[in-house]
Amino acid sequence: MNRNRIIAMSAMQWKNKMTNISRRDFLKLARNGFLYLSGALAFVGFLRFLDFDPNPAPETEFDLGSADKYPLGSRTVFSEIPAILIHTESGFSVLSLTCTHLGCTLEQDADGFACPCHNSRFDADGKVTHGPATNYLQSLRVEVTAENNLKVFTV
Amino acid sequence: MKKTLALASGFLLLTLALVWWLDSRQQQPVELIPTLTGQPEYCLTCHADLPEISVSHPAETFGCVTCHGGERLALDANLAHSTMRGGANPSDLSVANTSCGGTSCHSGSKADDRDHIQRVMTSVQSTYAGAIASIRYTFGAQTDLEAHFGIVPVTDDQTQTGIVALNLFDPAAESSPMIQKFGKNCLICHLHTEPREGENYARQTGCAACHSTVGHTFSIAIPYTQCNACHNRGNYDLRTMTFVERTDQPNDRLHDYYQPIAQFTQCEYTLDCVDCHTRSEVMGDGDLHANQKDIQYVQCKTCHGTLTELPLTRTLTDSNDVAFRMAFLNPVIDLKIGDTIIVTEQGEPLWNARLLPDGIYEMVGKATRQYFTFHPVMGTACEQNPDEQESHYCHECHAVEK
Repeated sequence: MNRNRIIAMSAMQWKNKMTNISRRDFLKLARNGFLYLSGALAFVGFLRFLDFDPNPAPETEFDLGSADKYPLGSRTVFSEIPAILIHTESGFSVLSLTCTHLGCTLEQDADGFACPCHNSRFDADGKVTHGPATNYLQSLRVEVTAENNLKVFTV
Repeated sequence: MKKTLALASGFLLLTLALVWWLDSRQQQPVELIPTLTGQPEYCLTCHADLPEISVSHPAETFGCVTCHGGERLALDANLAHSTMRGGANPSDLSVANTSCGGTSCHSGSKADDRDHIQRVMTSVQSTYAGAIASIRYTFGAQTDLEAHFGIVPVTDDQTQTGIVALNLFDPAAESSPMIQKFGKNCLICHLHTEPREGENYARQTGCAACHSTVGHTFSIAIPYTQCNACHNRGNYDLRTMTFVERTDQPNDRLHDYYQPIAQFTQCEYTLDCVDCHTRSEVMGDGDLHANQKDIQYVQCKTCHGTLTELPLTRTLTDSNDVAFRMAFLNPVIDLKIGDTIIVTEQGEPLWNARLLPDGIYEMVGKATRQYFTFHPVMGTACEQNPDEQESHYCHECHAVEK
């Protein structure tokens, strides 16, 4: 028996069944359908309510992908962290690009990093060269995973 | 029982459909997590169209709540705004210390020139001490012109002027009806007072009175029109002790804008007030002063010198010089180490005015960005008496006929 024939027969049986269904059975079916549907929707709504977090914590872990993408000597800025990944002979290091004065995002220039908000300046190693900031740029923890991916942690 | 269940499920479905419909009509929350606080806020859900308040205060760093207060997680407007500081103006002086203060912000130390709020609180723009003393003296409530009262009580425990405190000026406690009327009608120009409704020369209170020139923005490029929201918006009528507000909106600065009896040299009607007048003069120097005259000290000679002296200057050698800070915040001039700028007698930099190699000076308008060059008085045919430097002496020859 081919597949199309089976489908045609099933449809015919269902049609016969529906044609013969009593009014009582139809109402019962509709009632149960409403009941299950409303229950399911209420459950979905409840899950959605539980899942909503109005006060989420900022992301603290960032996957930078394969370490092979960052050759020796490279300095790569990640604006979404924001931070700069530095690859030297000593390995990978990451400097936060959040100004230690009030938290503006630093911009890279020829001398290092400059704050567009209040003109604090830092050298390429993150040391303060011009106030109002007084603290060095924060070094962020970076790890190379077993799959040779880089992960940066902001806290 | 089965009928009840069916009705309940139908009702639940209808309710869910209604909730879904209402939810789909609502604006989706727009979350912002400022780097300074790390705490989410949803103000941008409704206020995404507001411009950045200034380069120094980007929303992604400061957010809204740091300055404005309010309920950061609320999506209902009334709830969100219920705990805002100073209504729509967090720089109102009643809340400025909370909104704008902090040692890294605007209530830092005097040594590093970040004591803005303390200076403003003791300034004559805030205390109105000179006007109050003058009126009380005129109508016999005090025997001298010393400042005894201010709009708000304020103390200065490190006074350099001899004024250690100002008491609260309470017009109701005055016996003179004229002083009472002064209190009722004329206390409208100090930084604590709300502008009158519908007035042409409107401004905000507190820091925003000067620095908020256009809507939701803060700037140190302040045009003369902002200063004149108080300083040229009408006249006191001392016979009736009322303030007669001007109603015109002049366009021609020289011919229509100022009082008919006033005289001006070219720089006075071409430059903006802040091009010459310094931060200490305008915002106060941290000391209580008796009146405006005691704090306003820039004169024609500050830029032009006298027949016997060139203007005072300072060659910039330190990148932390406050001149660089000002030029960074309002980049109208490309100052460099080695540039020689004009300074006042108190050492305040006129950072927008520097000496050129050929001995003349250039000034850049802080609000207009226009370049002007000018010569020193020394070596010219000027017939001035070097001791007579108030502007009216210079007006005798240099005023433009109005």
